[in-house]
Amino acid sequence: MSSSAAPALRPAHVAEGPVLTVAGVTKSYPGVRALDGVDFEVRAGEVHCLLGQNGAGKSTLIKVISGLVAPDTGAVLLRGEPLAPGNPVDSLRRGIATIYQELDLVPSMKAYENVALGHETKGGGLLRRDADIARARELFTQFGHAEIDPHAVVADLSPAKQQMVSMARALSHDASVLVLDEPSAILDGEEVDTLLALVARLAEQGVAIVYITHRLDEVARIGSRVTVLKNGQTVYEGPADSSPADLVEKMVGKAVTDVFPPRAAGVGDPILEVSGLSRAGEFDDVSLTVRAGELVGVAGLVGAGRTEIVRCVYGLTKPAAGSVTMAGKPVRPGSVRHALAAGLALAPEERKSQGLVLDWELDKNVSLPSLKRFTRGLLRPRLERAAAEEQLRRLDTRPADPSALARTLSGGNQQKVVLARWLLHGCKVMLLDEPTRGIDVEARSEIYRQIRAFTQNGGGALVVSSDLPELVGLCDRIVVVREGRVVGEVAGATATEAAVLALALGASLDEALAAEPTASDLVTEAAGEPAPAKRARPRKTPVRKAP
Amino acid sequence: MTALLDSPEAAPADASARRRLPHLSSYSLAGVLLLLCVIATASSDAFLTRDNLTNVLTQSSVIGILTVGMTYVILTGGIDLSVGSMLAACSIYMGLQHSSGGVVMLLASLFGGIVLGAVNGLAITWGRVVPFIATLAMFSSARGLALYMSDNTPITVSSSLIDDLGTKRVLGLPMPIYVFVVVAVVAWVVLNRTAFGRHVVAVGGNAEAARASGIRVERVQFAVYVISGLCVGIGAVLLTGRLGSASPVTGSGYELDAIAAAVIGGAALNGGKGGIGGSVLGVLLFQVIFNLFNLLDVNTNLQNILKGVIILAAVVLQRRTRKA
Repeated sequence: MSSSAAPALRPAHVAEGPVLTVAGVTKSYPGVRALDGVDFEVRAGEVHCLLGQNGAGKSTLIKVISGLVAPDTGAVLLRGEPLAPGNPVDSLRRGIATIYQELDLVPSMKAYENVALGHETKGGGLLRRDADIARARELFTQFGHAEIDPHAVVADLSPAKQQMVSMARALSHDASVLVLDEPSAILDGEEVDTLLALVARLAEQGVAIVYITHRLDEVARIGSRVTVLKNGQTVYEGPADSSPADLVEKMVGKAVTDVFPPRAAGVGDPILEVSGLSRAGEFDDVSLTVRAGELVGVAGLVGAGRTEIVRCVYGLTKPAAGSVTMAGKPVRPGSVRHALAAGLALAPEERKSQGLVLDWELDKNVSLPSLKRFTRGLLRPRLERAAAEEQLRRLDTRPADPSALARTLSGGNQQKVVLARWLLHGCKVMLLDEPTRGIDVEARSEIYRQIRAFTQNGGGALVVSSDLPELVGLCDRIVVVREGRVVGEVAGATATEAAVLALALGASLDEALAAEPTASDLVTEAAGEPAPAKRARPRKTPVRKAP
Repeated sequence: MTALLDSPEAAPADASARRRLPHLSSYSLAGVLLLLCVIATASSDAFLTRDNLTNVLTQSSVIGILTVGMTYVILTGGIDLSVGSMLAACSIYMGLQHSSGGVVMLLASLFGGIVLGAVNGLAITWGRVVPFIATLAMFSSARGLALYMSDNTPITVSSSLIDDLGTKRVLGLPMPIYVFVVVAVVAWVVLNRTAFGRHVVAVGGNAEAARASGIRVERVQFAVYVISGLCVGIGAVLLTGRLGSASPVTGSGYELDAIAAAVIGGAALNGGKGGIGGSVLGVLLFQVIFNLFNLLDVNTNLQNILKGVIILAAVVLQRRTRKA
């Protein structure tokens, strides 16, 4: 199926009244109001596209719909009947099926077992395997994937096929509402076509579909209506025929230019030099330099190898080839302790799971790598606490109380705790992996200021980010990575999002610099994989273990 | 920032309330112990006597020392199922040296414990075997070793040093109590006042974060099994001295008692939570309950049933208080 045939995909028969109604839903997390009075309606037979930037509230909204999260106020109604809030079993029983980005299949079980999981056919107290197998086969055939063997073990299937298994499971419940969270993100071009055709067919059969995507071309191809979320509010709801440029304007809203601190006036000597760093299956021949006072960005699509590169530079993994030097001195590969001693520091991608001990007080989190300094024979908790508190205050962490538990802080403040840790330890180059992911705009600008303050004092910073406006607004220089290789470099002051994105997608540098910043580029950003780009390296399976 | 915070004061208040909880649960554990002693005093005249209390403490000391080692292991998110079997192996190993004198026997027991603990640690870090399986294997092997080395028969030990460590009274209290106190105090200091102790908790609390902070996670994991082995070695000396002989079948079921005491004392089996104080209280609580059962002549089988019930009840109660 090609895009020229696309309009035919749009479902023709859309029922009048809504099947699913989300009425005035709010949901707050510490420090962030994720949903702020959202209204949302889906009718039978329509493909309703849900758009919004990262952090706009899309994920929270679908979790409320699927019952994983109970809203603070408001309700979700199915055909006018309210659903039990925060009860995923109720939502599922009453016909709301959700396919998450991370498919929740049991990887070690067979395809048909996954399809039937939780509602297996039984006869005389025993499983009727034949019936389940036949049902799975029928669904796969119906989806245009008759080649999936119901007996295949899910872990052995490609991501696209795993997704089909997940869809089969959802639809074997006779779902009347199907929620798809960025289903195309893990698919190739042709696989996307098959998926869209299937989605259109399901809508034709009267299923109400909520379709979340970052790819605006898909909205035009299969969407009947669009809802745009911004900062937890519905900012637009209407037919899906708006131009991509209009949609982007609605998603972005007011320009956020004043959140970035000024760039470096001048940079000093190189501190961190990475040359020819390679690691099989992750990245190849990566060279880059960070100078004193410089803030270097690393751009690239998800899966391009950015996180793998910084983890390797930091010594968490061992490179197959290449070297890392700090101020001219080589750093021993694969040793975090040597990296630390040489003045490197890492603020990891997942603050909660990789950065902090959530059940610990802030002072312990801040002092963790620096305990030696507070040891006079024995550890001196008072010295430790005072030093930690000083750094927390310096970063204006809220609360700056060193005895608060890390778990209770908002994302932005948790990030400051990680920064405080490294400021206390002392470092020359900070590696920051997605430093503002999941952090609201105001807190972001503070994080930016602190990173900039660090470089102004002679430090260097390497920032990996999927947020293009952030890279372009913040960095002095942006290194672009594609499929594990450095494919180009753009000066921060003259960079445009479109130019960086074009490089990340695979255009040459000349083309990239000539590229006009177009609307759809802005939102495609890193989260939406470009359809035609085939990846060189084997993809990680998207299946996560069932809880 | 403040615009998006619903109430900036809410977070710190909540935080300090939560911070107090672990202490609170320690206090409540001490409270339960006290209450239990009151009940015991009321229901048996024999309880609040010097002899009986000394007896309770002496009986607590071997299992208490094992529990201290177990607490380190559990704090990293591990488990050591082999302490009971290792206790027998260490005891036999020192018994075999009885002709070489007390000092050699003492060192043999400590050495044996360290070596067996190091085998556990290597299997877990270098061999990447999960702690449950690695120590389950040691549970079997160490018991077999004890039986094999002793040819299934107990060894009589007569050494003044070992006898003294097991039975001698200083200021009216038997030596094992002093040893237990010293081990617990040293363990507390190491855990709470050294970088290593902090690293132990960090590895259990979040191994990834610990690694990213430059902590050699595997080294810490290895070390806690060696510590557990060392505690076993110390316990074996006390036990052998008290009994005057080394038995290959001793210590059976001690691993479960040590785990139960640590858990009742607030240790979380997935790591990062727990402490020496809580574990010591857990041990005492257990021993007082069983002392009372014995004084009241409760049937032994019934005692075991109640033991299970107490463990379950204690953990369920802790979950409740933690949530509240």
